[in-house]
Amino acid sequence: MRISDLFKMGLRNLSRRKARTGLTVLGVIIGTISIVIMVSIGIGMNNSFDKQFMENGAMTVIRIERYGSIIDDDGNWLGSKEQVLDDNLVELVRQVEHVNAVAPVLDTSAKLTSGKYETYISLRAIGHEAFAEFGYPGLLSGAYPTAENNKSVVIPGYVLENYFYNPSSRNYETKAIDPAKDKITFKFDEWRYTQNERKKAFALDLTEIAVMEESENWEFNSYVYFDMDYFKEIYTKYANTLKLEDRKKAMAELQNYSFIMINVDNIKNVTRVQEDIEALGYVTYSEMQYLEPLKQTSDMLQMVLGAIGALAMMVSAINIANTMVMSIYERTREIGIMKVLGCLVKDVKKLFLFEAAMIGLLGGIVGIVLSYVASFAINKYGGPLFQTLMQSSGVYDVGDAKFSVIPFWLPFLAAGFAMLIGVLAGYFPARRATKISAIEAMKTDS
Amino acid sequence: MGDTPQKVIEVKNVRKIYRMGNEKIYAVDDVSFDIYEGEFCCLLGTSGSGKSTLLNLMAGIEKLTSGQILIKGRPIHKLNETKLARFRQKYLGFVFQSYNLIGTMTALENVELPLVFKRVPKKKRRAMAKEMLEKVGLKNRLKHKPKEMSGGQQQRVGIARAFVAKPSIVFADEPTGNLDTKTTMEVMELIREIAHDNNQTIVMVTHDRSLAQYADRVIHILDGKVQSIDVVNHNMEDDEPEITETKKEETNVEEENDGTVGSVDDDNSAN
Repeated sequence: MRISDLFKMGLRNLSRRKARTGLTVLGVIIGTISIVIMVSIGIGMNNSFDKQFMENGAMTVIRIERYGSIIDDDGNWLGSKEQVLDDNLVELVRQVEHVNAVAPVLDTSAKLTSGKYETYISLRAIGHEAFAEFGYPGLLSGAYPTAENNKSVVIPGYVLENYFYNPSSRNYETKAIDPAKDKITFKFDEWRYTQNERKKAFALDLTEIAVMEESENWEFNSYVYFDMDYFKEIYTKYANTLKLEDRKKAMAELQNYSFIMINVDNIKNVTRVQEDIEALGYVTYSEMQYLEPLKQTSDMLQMVLGAIGALAMMVSAINIANTMVMSIYERTREIGIMKVLGCLVKDVKKLFLFEAAMIGLLGGIVGIVLSYVASFAINKYGGPLFQTLMQSSGVYDVGDAKFSVIPFWLPFLAAGFAMLIGVLAGYFPARRATKISAIEAMKTDS
Repeated sequence: MGDTPQKVIEVKNVRKIYRMGNEKIYAVDDVSFDIYEGEFCCLLGTSGSGKSTLLNLMAGIEKLTSGQILIKGRPIHKLNETKLARFRQKYLGFVFQSYNLIGTMTALENVELPLVFKRVPKKKRRAMAKEMLEKVGLKNRLKHKPKEMSGGQQQRVGIARAFVAKPSIVFADEPTGNLDTKTTMEVMELIREIAHDNNQTIVMVTHDRSLAQYADRVIHILDGKVQSIDVVNHNMEDDEPEITETKKEETNVEEENDGTVGSVDDDNSAN
């Protein structure tokens, strides 16, 4: 038989028992909806999960902090140890396998003044290469420091918008500063070291300012960034204005980094790199190590959801098989006639497999369409229920998150799966149909 | 009739034994005969005589217990299912007592069916089916479903279906069993005519002696054995029908009144 004839005959057979075909398709529709919705909820959960952690930092970054926390296997804090983070260590870490980039970081605090407005900021100095290597956000204006021009200072737009306030006004009114118009002056904290009275206090007018766009990762939004070399240059100038005994102390700070950032080539290798560095005797920290147990919980929940969906699908598979068996009983004589008229055994088989697959596909397609409707409804009205569900798996900040996300591949997968279920469920009935003898056609009754 | 008739079906010492518990039933018991090309051969016997089983064996629908059946020199009893199906597509047609049309299909679609299995392109097979239906006089019944047609019309569709693929052999199993006398005559004439036009061989099974007159040769089956083989003399057709002595009274009176032509010459021996 030609494929087109097979299709035509199969469709005709399905349509001649409309009620039964309809009910069987309904079963598949329900199965498909439950699978798609369950998977979509799992994906939605995972997304808000990832999002939450993205806000705290990139997933492939490991840090070695100056004060490393000592934590036991159960996550209890036992104490901390001070680690010396110098250029030797930076070189050592660079050698570790799967490490893409290493950047030492110096954190300090400083003050920015613009007219009568001022703000205390956290200052972060890192090598200019690190801005690209660690995926710093885009800039609204200006440019990141480069090897040729390292004098650019990067200020997050968020800081400019919200942080400057007037200390002499009654309720500390704030003002958005526009670096293009407003002059910004930079000073180091006055209270840390004693000023040498015979020298003029250090102050720097910031001329090259880059404005960083707001990021989902809060860490980016909270610092003002300097290139490491430029920072050392101005810091040395600053130290020279200090009293002699403080000058040494201040300069010593340059020798010990606040922390070292390490970028790993792949999220899968983070744990391994962490272990390698810990073998060197340093305590490390990564988002991954917190994420992993939580992720396991979430995966588990997803599997449970998937299993519920699969169960519904299994019931519909049994349903299809039953329908096909019934259909074969009814059509015993017809199959016999077909055989006598020269229909090949394999065509009989194909015909029944096609019918079963069509039931699956039809149910799959309708199920997918309805799944989109259901997904929309869940996102719109299912808030309270799913908020509870997600919090139990460690996701707290659900805010505007979507509870049910249907990625583009899911409908195709679901339709394919429904069809596969149909074929599998139809396989044994179809084989049974091939065993029907042509002699059925010769019986004279009915 | 033919000058040097060619054998299309050779039945050689065929046995078919059914087992009912410990009992063996010889449905067909050591039967041998040949059927020639272009011949209309009738297997005549009472119900339970084994004539239908014999037909099934010849068509490869049932497996024989021992012996040989050659169709066009091919041992049909040895073919596997796929080969058998292809063989049927090519050489065999079937007419059934209960028509066996597919209820959901129109007359045209039913006639097309064997061609569908044979992978004949759509346009060609549609034309072939139409032509065939025209030939059986159902030109304006193409789109009718079997239920919308009379028994005679349904059997005409059945005949069209059997002949549409131009098989060299058509098996007919009590083709008129469900039809009234008038329709029976029409149907028999139709089968004869179409087969004659294309030099096709007909093997018909019936219990109705009166149908035997349409055949060229009658093989009498009794208790699974060939009792006698008679040649029907059609030359008498033109003459005033000569009522040959009928051994039993079961022959229809009606039929004689119709003045049905032809006769069964019981005394003739097999060639």
